[in-house]
Amino acid sequence: MSSLRNAISRRPHKERSQPHSRRKFGLLEKHKDYVERAQVFHKKEQTLQKLREKAAFRNPDEFYFRMMKAKTVDGVHKLENETNKYNTDELLLMKTQDMGYILQKLQSEKKKIEKLAAVLHSLDSQPSNRHIYYAEDREEAKEIQSRSKKRGKLPTSDDVFDDIRSKTAISYRELEARRNRVSQLEKLYMDMALQKELQKKGRKRKLREDELACPTSKPVYKWRSERKR
Amino acid sequence: MRPPRGRGSGGGFRGRGDGGKGRGGGGGGRGSDRGSAMGGRGGGCGVFIAKGKEDAIVTKNLVPGEVVYNEKRIYVHNEDATKVEYRVWNPFWSKLATAIIGGVDEIWIKPGARVLYLGAASGTTVSHVSDIVGPTGVVYAVAFSHRSGRDLVNMAKKHTNVIPIIEDARHPSKYRILVGMVDVIFSDVAQPDWARILALNASYFLKAGGHFVISIKANYIDSTQPVEAVFQSEPFEQVMLEPYERDHACVVGAIVSQRNPKLLSEMLGGIGSM
Repeated sequence: MSSLRNAISRRPHKERSQPHSRRKFGLLEKHKDYVERAQVFHKKEQTLQKLREKAAFRNPDEFYFRMMKAKTVDGVHKLENETNKYNTDELLLMKTQDMGYILQKLQSEKKKIEKLAAVLHSLDSQPSNRHIYYAEDREEAKEIQSRSKKRGKLPTSDDVFDDIRSKTAISYRELEARRNRVSQLEKLYMDMALQKELQKKGRKRKLREDELACPTSKPVYKWRSERKR
Repeated sequence: MRPPRGRGSGGGFRGRGDGGKGRGGGGGGRGSDRGSAMGGRGGGCGVFIAKGKEDAIVTKNLVPGEVVYNEKRIYVHNEDATKVEYRVWNPFWSKLATAIIGGVDEIWIKPGARVLYLGAASGTTVSHVSDIVGPTGVVYAVAFSHRSGRDLVNMAKKHTNVIPIIEDARHPSKYRILVGMVDVIFSDVAQPDWARILALNASYFLKAGGHFVISIKANYIDSTQPVEAVFQSEPFEQVMLEPYERDHACVVGAIVSQRNPKLLSEMLGGIGSM
């Protein structure tokens, strides 16, 4: 049997949401969200507490056979020797995969730069091109000169609203950052390619300082010219 | 004495209009921006500047909703809640855009103009020229390659003020039926005998007092002389197309006096390839 409360319809009370001015903080946390967050925190706290207890009650006379290989340096467990973990084929494969990844990121950045540069034409800066005017005689040349001096900069940059100007500045900064990233990725890729070539068989030697045209910080190698079969 | 030229290229486009009211509206779909597009002052404006996330030169889309080469579109909202669509003009793909950004004073291509475009290729720049001249103007686009001609024709189906001509620009007599008198010749033919091509086409189609805008390799510049000799043309200005192109320049000038048929036939034998 339904209660008489259902006969009177009441307005359902709605949950309050995050105020518009604080929307950058995400959803407004309610009790159920707090409970979840608190449980996670306490679980981590208890785990750490148990580990501290175990470390405090450690048996100083314990022995495991792995202890004959491993070491502890200043209380920190030192990993066993990883020098021969992978053989050369596996290493080569992993290095190739690394290079492939870097190349992929490099190409994706280049495409993004292309897309950005297509819509950012740096219209506010003075054009750095050479602009040649043809004049009939000296008076016309002087007139053209005075006219171009009066012209000066474009008037477009003045009247733009502030938030639009800041958006444009952000876009240009993004373009600049991406260009920097591309140059760094290229350098990295070149380094990795050089290392890979050095592992290969060809006869090579390292060039000395006095032989180099422009001395760089990294070593420069020269390969003996051999006919490839 | 040359008539004084207004500032801003192409009919005063770089002025300040009032697209700023469009700021309030939300951006449309992808590629749109809550920015402003500044129009030209003094009546007819062809090329606009869009500021916002982008900082680009744009043209008003003649065919709203269509893109020609996957370029970005920018929407500006008017006071009466209508959207105006502009297409971004990419200077990496278009020498005319590079010239405008580089600061050429006048391109002579304005709304209502009739333009003969030599070297149209796939029609990417032609579409922007067609946006500028608007429905009252005409663009006669001449392309030689059949493959690009196909793209050109498809573009012309949508942009109804473009007349595609798939023919060699060296023989304007072959398409003389299709083309009327034009106000401006734009030439981007990348051929060593560009001067003769320009001279021939100008003799057939360019009106008296018409202008030309050409994009040539910089090491051909000293061969502007033969053009001057044949046509008494005057170059007005020349802009190097850095940083978007290397060693290219854009020359803007006018054909001042009437065609001289006798002089033309004498000189045509002499111009040849340069």
